[in-house]
Amino acid sequence: MSEPIVAGVAESDLIETPDRSWLDNAAIATVRALEDADLTLEEVDGVAVAGGDDYMPALLLSEYLDLDEPSFLEGTEIGGSSFEHFCGHVADAMARDRADVVVIAYGSTSRTGSGRDRSLEVDHPVESFVRPTGLFRPPGAYAMAARRHMHEYGTTEEQLAEVAVSTREWAALNPKAEHRDPITVDDVLDSRPIAEPFNMYDCCLVSDGGGAVVLVSEEKARELGVPEISVAGVASTTTHRGDVSEMPDMTTTGAAVTGPKAFKQAGITHDDVDVAQLYDSFTYTALVTLEDLGFCEKGEGGQFVEDGATAPGGELPMNTQGGGLSYCHPGHFGVFVLIEAARQLRGDYTGQRQVDGAEVAVAHGTGGLLSSSSTVVLRREA
Amino acid sequence: MTGDVEDRREEWEGPVPVPNGANADFWAATLEGELLYQRCAECGTSQLYPRAVCTGCGAVDPAFEVSEGTGTVYTYTVCHIPGEPGFKDRTPYVVANVELTEGPRLLALVDCEPDEIEVGAPVGVTFWQVTDEAALPVFELR
Repeated sequence: MSEPIVAGVAESDLIETPDRSWLDNAAIATVRALEDADLTLEEVDGVAVAGGDDYMPALLLSEYLDLDEPSFLEGTEIGGSSFEHFCGHVADAMARDRADVVVIAYGSTSRTGSGRDRSLEVDHPVESFVRPTGLFRPPGAYAMAARRHMHEYGTTEEQLAEVAVSTREWAALNPKAEHRDPITVDDVLDSRPIAEPFNMYDCCLVSDGGGAVVLVSEEKARELGVPEISVAGVASTTTHRGDVSEMPDMTTTGAAVTGPKAFKQAGITHDDVDVAQLYDSFTYTALVTLEDLGFCEKGEGGQFVEDGATAPGGELPMNTQGGGLSYCHPGHFGVFVLIEAARQLRGDYTGQRQVDGAEVAVAHGTGGLLSSSSTVVLRREA
Repeated sequence: MTGDVEDRREEWEGPVPVPNGANADFWAATLEGELLYQRCAECGTSQLYPRAVCTGCGAVDPAFEVSEGTGTVYTYTVCHIPGEPGFKDRTPYVVANVELTEGPRLLALVDCEPDEIEVGAPVGVTFWQVTDEAALPVFELR
């Protein structure tokens, strides 16, 4: 079957964009990603947008960019994993000749914008059970999952902190990362408590910014002569949404389902994976995802990161741009894991920042309150 | 009756439950000191939060039963940042996922000091009445 090719990727300006709206940032990322692919707005025939603090975001971006009758429109909202999820829909559409050039885009002003208006009205029945507890979401929900993981597997706060430390080592190599100064495990443990067991450095940044990925058909990719980075496998699922109480097993995420499916579709094993970009809204998110995708045994994620496997020079370079913990996190980080995976496979970097000879990358999105999981396998074709 | 009901209407500044649909019976019972959960007469599935359908077999409007109001702490967090308006003066406070003796899990405040709680701790329910319409299930360590 034909597979979509990642023809272009880009971010908008990041960290603080006080004079921009989410739509501005999504649009800027889009035109930059098209430029990266040597394509024009005229050639775009599909748009997939999630997040964006508006109703019908795919229509808004299409209008904003004055697209000419796009044939592929996608706005499925499954949180931070939406963009990985879109890759599967784009693949289906391209296999049926429904689109040739699709932009997957995101924009936000999480940092300087007024943020989403949090109505006091309780409109979903589950909210009457959650909001009166005062649970600080999302950190408190992820923290409860982490606490259970510590109870069942002996995972320690020091091991969680290792994720923040190794991610910061990668961020030090990325000029776009917001935080690049080295930190230690003690720095993480001594940072301000947020929702135990999480301290401030266990939690992602809150940034402005946007990102975009341009997927094209194989035919279009040949026309363009871009490096053939293919979407070789995609799978998504969900376990719950409103209340983490509904998570069937609080220490296992949907990645345990989507990982094997995406790997099988791509025809790869873990040994084939050269680089992993795993959503890290919190230190625990990345740790549990490593386990659930099968990069280590269940319950051994703490030891895996403690041994330096994911740090620069490790056997599984992870979040090589610094991740949501140190690079940026405008809300739906999933678009940025795809961008970095593609750049590593293209060999865009030099020195330690570049994972040598990277041919297979795993990009994993997590959304909601550990609620949705989407795994994408990207492969550089010979 | 499965737990005491304390009137906290004067001091409560946090969000309050809004009884509606399948939740209405649950919240009405809290005012009487009863913690309800749904147990399907067709297939035996137990569930919370209340829903119009059984998640096991799809039966409509599964029946409510009265919980003993006991359980154990499945997991918990200590919130140092208030997650909702009206919680600023409470920090740090404990929110737990409580596994009821009957099976379903429920998110709830635990009225204890942060260093007193641990996973697996036995708990029992009490109720804080926060509006004329509902009382919150709040657990205490046993």
